[in-house]
This record gives sequence, structure tokens and C-alpha cells, in this order.
Amino acid sequence: MKNALGREIPKTIGSRSVEAYAGAFAKQRSGFKAPQPQKSSVPGENKVLPSLEAAIEVTGLKDGMTISFHHSFREGDRVINQVVDACARMGLKDLRLFPTALFGTHAKLVDHIKSGVVSRIEGSMNGPVGAFISQGGKLREPATLRSHGGRWRAIESGDVAIDVAFIAASQADAYGNANGINGRTPCGPITFCMVDAQYARKTVVVTNELAPYPAYPLEIQQGWVDYIVVVDEVGDPEQIASGTLEMTKSPARLRIARLAADAVVASPYFKDGLSFQGGAGGVSLAATMYLAEAMEKAKIVGGFVMGGGTRIMVEMLHKGLVRTILDGQAFDPIAVASLGVDPAHVIMNPGLYANYDSRGCATYMLDAAFLGATEVDVDFNVNVNTHSDGRLLHGIGGHQDVAAGAKMTVITAPSIRGRLPVILDRVTTVTTPGEVVDVIVTERGIAVNPKRGDLKACFLEAGLPVRDIAELKAEADGLVRPLGKPVFGDEVVAAIEWRDGTVIDVVRKVEGWQ
Amino acid sequence: MPNEIVAGSDAKGDCRVNVTPGRALAIAVASDDPHLFERGIREVVDETLAKLGRVKATVSVADKGALDYVLAARVEAAVRLAFPEIPAIAPKVRRRPSEHDAPRRSRLYAPGNNPRILVGIELHGADCVLVDLEDSVPPGEKAAARVLVKHLLGAIDFPNEVWVRINPLALGGADDVREVILARPHGVALPKAESRDDVVALSKELAKAEQAFGAPLGSTWIMPILETAKGVLHAEEIAAADPRVAVVAFGAEDFTRDVGARRTSESLLFARSMIVAAAKAAGVQASDTVYADIDDEAGLAVEAHLARDLGFDGKGAIHPGQIPALHAAFTPSGKEMDEARKIVAAAEEAEARGIGAIAIGGKMIDRPVLERARRVVRLSDRLSRKESR
Repeated sequence: MKNALGREIPKTIGSRSVEAYAGAFAKQRSGFKAPQPQKSSVPGENKVLPSLEAAIEVTGLKDGMTISFHHSFREGDRVINQVVDACARMGLKDLRLFPTALFGTHAKLVDHIKSGVVSRIEGSMNGPVGAFISQGGKLREPATLRSHGGRWRAIESGDVAIDVAFIAASQADAYGNANGINGRTPCGPITFCMVDAQYARKTVVVTNELAPYPAYPLEIQQGWVDYIVVVDEVGDPEQIASGTLEMTKSPARLRIARLAADAVVASPYFKDGLSFQGGAGGVSLAATMYLAEAMEKAKIVGGFVMGGGTRIMVEMLHKGLVRTILDGQAFDPIAVASLGVDPAHVIMNPGLYANYDSRGCATYMLDAAFLGATEVDVDFNVNVNTHSDGRLLHGIGGHQDVAAGAKMTVITAPSIRGRLPVILDRVTTVTTPGEVVDVIVTERGIAVNPKRGDLKACFLEAGLPVRDIAELKAEADGLVRPLGKPVFGDEVVAAIEWRDGTVIDVVRKVEGWQ
Repeated sequence: MPNEIVAGSDAKGDCRVNVTPGRALAIAVASDDPHLFERGIREVVDETLAKLGRVKATVSVADKGALDYVLAARVEAAVRLAFPEIPAIAPKVRRRPSEHDAPRRSRLYAPGNNPRILVGIELHGADCVLVDLEDSVPPGEKAAARVLVKHLLGAIDFPNEVWVRINPLALGGADDVREVILARPHGVALPKAESRDDVVALSKELAKAEQAFGAPLGSTWIMPILETAKGVLHAEEIAAADPRVAVVAFGAEDFTRDVGARRTSESLLFARSMIVAAAKAAGVQASDTVYADIDDEAGLAVEAHLARDLGFDGKGAIHPGQIPALHAAFTPSGKEMDEARKIVAAAEEAEARGIGAIAIGGKMIDRPVLERARRVVRLSDRLSRKESR
């Protein structure tokens, strides 16, 4: 069947039946969510277990079950590998992993996939695991990729049932209250796993620092936690800030950032109370910095900035350029430190951030957002999941959630990377539909979605280089001969869910080249 | 054993081409992703080799994300180094016309043998992009660089002016001229110009090259760069040396070394004033030296305004981020433009009525003031035409 974007979607993918994407806000649900597990508590219970093996034992984790994790330690995470290694040592097989994201540090999962300890992955497959799967590495079922908000929704709706949630925390008390803000190795918010803790059949907090009761802030709460395991190491905070968090020095990229910030300045949203999403990536960081400079010059005080917290956002808060930071995950140590001392630096969980099946999303309160792209097309669709050679390499992150919510979604991307054109007639994979994308900024100029004539008029008035997207494409195409094109077979490697649980696209296995 | 020749590098955005003369033509292509890139790369290599004549050699191309014009340039450079008798390729060129006194508020330097930095160099709004073959290109790369610059100029439709800084004529500059003239730069910058003869010699080379390659005679401007004590002292004869001279530029880095000065606004004042006076006496523009600290925006703005106050028409930039500050300093203000228009209008009216003296509000307008006003009006007209493009 074809979905609303004309993408061919199978009726079933693996063992799941598929509902096709029908439009950004077409799906409307009512009724009740999936039930949470129930357990009564009595005084005097001891929740502390001596080891991960003990936790695996008493939670009743068995072959074929689902275990979940958060990614707040990013490249520095030490918990996912420790837990899966322990499962392997105990002879478990056929596990389904349900992480909020994976990183390069989890490359050794490939061995566990090869040996059959892990047979399915639900979740963003960044880096080496994604590369392995799309190069023919076998999972028992195709992967499902979801946005941050979409993952939360999938748990609440019962689409994904978690058997055991393992939640890394830099500090916890013996009764299960846990956080990532305090302790010797803080990583920032760990609220990605709040919903896991509430819905998992069993919840285990894994910490390297046991604090007196009550450990706070109460990110993960005692009422959701069955067991606590103390280990030597949960993660290395030094590795939270990965390479994507360095300010770019490339003139072309700085130009993109400058134009993106100029576009926001020229928009009707540039006034007191301006709210925007920053985020990681050299261009987004630079755009945020330029926007901050413009706000300072125009004496504008922003309402809130949202995103992975960064040094630049903290500086804006301290300078009084913005009233609040809504922070879902910390992207550098300065953001982590600020969470502990700045009351206006507020922890945000993905449900509050972006859960479509809820009574409100913080992303809907955004005026503007800067987001990246691996590919864009002339219909303003964006791909952040696959490379032009068809390989699955990145997760969705908050891309869909932010684009769907912000009044002005700005995609920043170079028109060409090396010999790889970025603007195509049709993206390899749709992550985010053109319906929710307003502006694409490249170093060659700014393309405005035809439905945003109002923004186009503002940009022209401000003297910004507004260009037709087909013109930008033609200019970049003039620099390189056409690429070889992958020929996709029928076999589905991964399903890309839209944030409402419908399937917006699938990633198929590459079978040849033309 | 035949000698292996190499052009290009393994840097991102570049490619390395090895040519080993042999019995027959053999082509090998390697890239980061053969499926995606190999066919396109082969097409470019084949077409370039066809233009050069099918050489008897093994040509190996290792690509690191080079654009088509970079690939063509590297193949041409390596083949011609191996077979010096093969004539240069003349690229198809689309070049917008320029004028003797086109706005040149900013001249953006770009290293001529660094494809990664050259990508998109035309997009930063510089009035004048100055691709460098001199100081930023190591001696061993000069030949490959001039071929790359030619292909860059052939492939890119520069929205404003594009110039090439060649080497001094005796140090390869003549070869630079013969190569780059094929891609029709708006002008050629001559480093370390020290005398009228230096400029005249370049003008003759340009004339020869223009005639040889069918370019209109006299269509290439010259920018002498004065960066030695001798050059500054001879500013007057240099600026007036040839009708091709459109702008005289100052190079403070070499100048301070040459005279043993420390770089302060005071120590450069004589040279700057000398150059401005010489340029204006010859009816050409003056362009100030670059500001080396790319992170010091405030310092750049101060120096640009100082240069503007001294009479310079523009200033060099070593990073695109410096361009807005230069344009802010060298664009006449709205008030200046209005006054200039009033003066020019009064002059036209006076002329129409056959009156010799011009007055506005009872105040007499001198001839130099009128000339200055006319320059401001011309500049502002050109800038507004540029804006509307």
C-alpha cells in the first residue's frame, strides 16, 4: 500500500501490522492507554542487589524478552554493554533491545547480534550497529525507528512492552529514587527512561553512587523501581560532548548558520518571548550563537530555548537573553553543571517534550527550530536516517517532534557534501514530511516552502537570498556528475515511524546498483 | 624507469592523480564509495583525457570528494607535468562583465591549491574574490595550483569580480598569466610591485596572452600590491603605469618586515597615505591591507574605518567572516549618498544653464568635491544594481 507521501509500505513488517502515515496530524486517538504493572509495597523492603547478574536472575529475564536503556551518557555510556555482557554470560539468547539511542561505544553489540544474544533492536540505530544491520547483518525482525516523542507514545500505547528497564543513574538512594544531575559522574537528565520505569514489568536502577534517602531531583521515583544495583562505573561524563558539539570553522557552514539565524531575525517571531530549539551539530550551535548575538543587539529576551542543553544556552540564560531552558538531555558538561544550580534550567522528559498522544507537547510552543538533514528534496521532505547509498546510519532523535511543533522549522544543510548532492528530487528515506518543514537554508541561499509565502515576503524584505529549491538543486548538481543509484529489494530492514505510530517510510535492503 | 607524476592530495574535497607514462592508456579510479561515485568520476576523467589527447600512460585517480572541476584540474595538471608538450585546456567560461571602478570594498583571499576552501568561495558576498597562487601555495604545487584556479574560474559563475594573485613575473608569474587567462579573470594582482616597469611587463604579458587566446585586448585589470619600501616610494609611477591598473593595494605584513617596523596604525600611516594619494592622482582605487586576526571583529572594524577615513576604497579579507565589517566601513552612508546626489544634480543643472560655478545653498562647490560626489554616486548606483541581482 502507498502512504500519504506516496511511499510504498508493506501491510505487515515482521510480526507487526502496519498503519500507513496519513498526514502529520491526521491520526486522532481517544480512549485509554495501556495499563501499567501493579504491585503493592510494604515497609522495610530491601531493593539493593549485589550484581547485574542477580538483577537479571530475580527480574526473571528470559530468552526473547525486551530490555530497555537510556542514552544520556551518549558516547560515555557503560551500562548497556555491561548489562548485555552479563546477559551473554548467563546464556540468555534472542533478546530484544529497546534503547533510546545507540552510539559508537556500543559497537561490541555487533558481536552479541552475531552470537544470537541480541536478535532484535527497537530504536535508533546510530553508528556501527546500524551500519552492520544495513550491510546484511541479520536481526530476527526489522528494526523500528521512532522519534523521542514517538518512543514514549509507543510504550504508553502498549506497542512496545518492556520486560526489564535498566536505568543508568549517577546517583540513587537505596529505595530507588535516582537522577543524573548529582553524584561523581553526572550526565544530565535521565528522564528519557521515566516512561520505561513506569511501564516495564521490572525496573532496575544501575548506579555508581548510593546516596542517603532521598536522592534528588526525583527524576526516577521509588514507586517505579524494583531493584538497585551498584556498579563501579555507569558512564564517563567527559564523553557526553561528542565531536558534533564543536563549533564549526568551515566558512560554508558558518554561512549556513548565519543565514539560518538571519531568517529567524527577519521572521515575525523575532520579538520578546521568542522561543527556539537549538540542538547539537556545528551549524546548529553556530546558528544559536548568531541568534543570541542578534537578540542581545535588539534587546530581546527570549521565552525559552529547548533542546539538548549546551554551553551556549547556559550562557544565554546567565546573560538574561532567555528566561528558561527546557532541557531533555545534556550535550556538554557545562549544561550538566548548570542543571544543578540554575532554577530556570528545567529538566524536561520526552513525554512533556513531544508525546503526540498526550494533552500537549512543549515543541508546539516553539517559534523557531534549527534542525539538520542528511538529504532534503524539492518537496521539502527531510531524511536523517539513511545515507544516499541506502545504509541506515542515524536515529530520528527529536527531528519529527520539533519539526511538527515549531511555527518555523529551519532545516540547515549544505547543498553538497564532497561529491554528494544533498538536495534531491526524492529523498532516499522520509524521516520528516515537507508538510512540517518551512525553510531550508543552504550556503547557496534560502528555500521557502511554497505554503509559507508570509515568511518568504519577510525574508525578501530583509534582503535575504531567497532562492527556488529547484534552482539550488540545479546549481549544486552542476558541480558533480549524477550519482550511482541503489536498487532496493523487497526485504525491509527498518520501519520509520511517524511520531503518531503510523509508518512514514521503510528502509529496504540494497540489492544492486544502477 | 618512467617517472611517476602526482597532482592533488588526499585531503578532503581533493583527489590525487598519479600519471606514469607507459605503452598505452590505462585508467584506474578509487573513491570512498565506488557504487555512488565511480561512474561520474570516470566520465570526468575520460572527458578530460579526451581533451588532452589520449596519452600513453597509466592514470590513477584516488578521490576524496573532489568536485568535477577539481578532478578535471588534477588530471590535466598531472598529465601536462608528465607530457609538457600537451597544450592547456581552455574551459568554457561564463564571466559577468566588470568595470574599471567596480565596487571593491572587500577583496577576499583564497588559497589557490586548496579545493576544500575554494568550494563556495563565490557565495560570501565579497566584491572581489582574489584566488592566490603566490604566498599560500608551496613552490612544489605552483603548477597544479594554476591549473586548478583555471578550472575553478571556468566552472563557477562568480556573482562579482574574481581576480588571481600571480607570482612575481620572474618567479612563475608569466606561466600563471598564460594559464589563468584561459578562464578570463576580471583582473590579475601583482605582488611585490616595485616599479612602473613591473606593471608594464605584466601588462605586456597580459596583452600577449589575451591575443593568443582570443580574449579582448586590454580586458584584464591589474592590481599592483605595494608591500616593500621601494614599492611604496614608487606608488605614484606604479599607479599611473598602465590603463589596466584599476586598483592599488597595500600589503602591510611584508612592508613592516621590509622596513623593520612594528605594525601599528602610526607606523603604517605614511605608506597608507602615500598609496591613497598615488592611486587617486592616477584616477584608480586604493585598497588597504588585510587584518590578520580573524577573531577580533572590533579591531577589524576600527582598522577598516581608519582606512576609509584615509581615503581607501576597500580592504583585504582573509576570512569570509570579515566581509560584513568591510562593507559596513566602505559603503557610503545614506547621508553621504544624498549629499553627493545633490551636488551632482546641482552641477548638471549649472552645466545645462551654462554657469561655470556651482553652489548649493549659497556655498560654492569645488571641483574635487564634485569629483568625489560623482564617485560616491557611481558607487552607490553600482551597489544598488548589485543588490537587485
